[in-house]
Amino acid sequence: MSDEKERAELLAALHAAGAASDEDETELRALLEADPSLEKIVKDFQDSIAALASSFDPLETPPKTFAQIQKKIARERGGFFSRLRSWFSKP
Amino acid sequence: MMAEAKPTDPIDLVAAMAADDSGAPLKEFYALYASTVLALLMKMLGSRAEAEEILQDVFVELWRRASQYDSSRGGVVAWVVTVARSRALDALRARSRRYGNNQQQFFSDRHGIRTDGGRPDVLVSSTRWHQALRQAFQRLSEDQRSVLELSYFLGMSHGQIAETLNLPVGTVKSRILAGMRELRTMLPIIHRSMVA
Repeated sequence: MSDEKERAELLAALHAAGAASDEDETELRALLEADPSLEKIVKDFQDSIAALASSFDPLETPPKTFAQIQKKIARERGGFFSRLRSWFSKP
Repeated sequence: MMAEAKPTDPIDLVAAMAADDSGAPLKEFYALYASTVLALLMKMLGSRAEAEEILQDVFVELWRRASQYDSSRGGVVAWVVTVARSRALDALRARSRRYGNNQQQFFSDRHGIRTDGGRPDVLVSSTRWHQALRQAFQRLSEDQRSVLELSYFLGMSHGQIAETLNLPVGTVKSRILAGMRELRTMLPIIHRSMVA
């Protein structure tokens, strides 16, 4: 493995694990811009850590939660920006 | 008129959520991921009431960001978990500001990566998938597990972890990389258990 790829792998691991510093993130972005094929390393690490985070036994959600989510979304849809957007999108 | 087929692929479901205002795709998406998200939030926050409140915010945010989802950057589960983790970390930081920083002890003592067997609110429907994941994660060494818990579930940087565990920063980085490599080798097992 090339030094650059090895460095990218370390930075991708820190990024996916949520342990990267701002400097690490900047360096990783630069490496990804230079070599987009490195995205695969980041994606695999992201998927791996996500699997870890979703491995806990699922818990039953309260029956009212979805209705409360819908209510919040409806409030957001009816907000000022939404009305402005629909007004501008009128033919 | 023929009824439209329901999207079953999670990526299609996210696209439908972004395009459809009826709420049906969101409902399906919620049914698919809410119990997993709630479990993660409970693990990170340790408070059922707070986890339930943040669960709502997580799904509102997922709905809001559905059109920005990019499958080339990670799977749907990774996207969902990233949003949930970020919201939980915000709540942990707010709690730290209010009550001081004793999150590490809190997480290690009460949670960690282990089973919830025996809890009355644990759903039994997904146990095969979760058991497969947990068995795979047993392959992580204790050292790897602890740095990943501190970084991922408590949001610590490698510098903070080094300070907390009294280790050189280079050792922390090596353990994170080794742990992530180990997790990556489990991806095929994880994918197999998802389709089994």
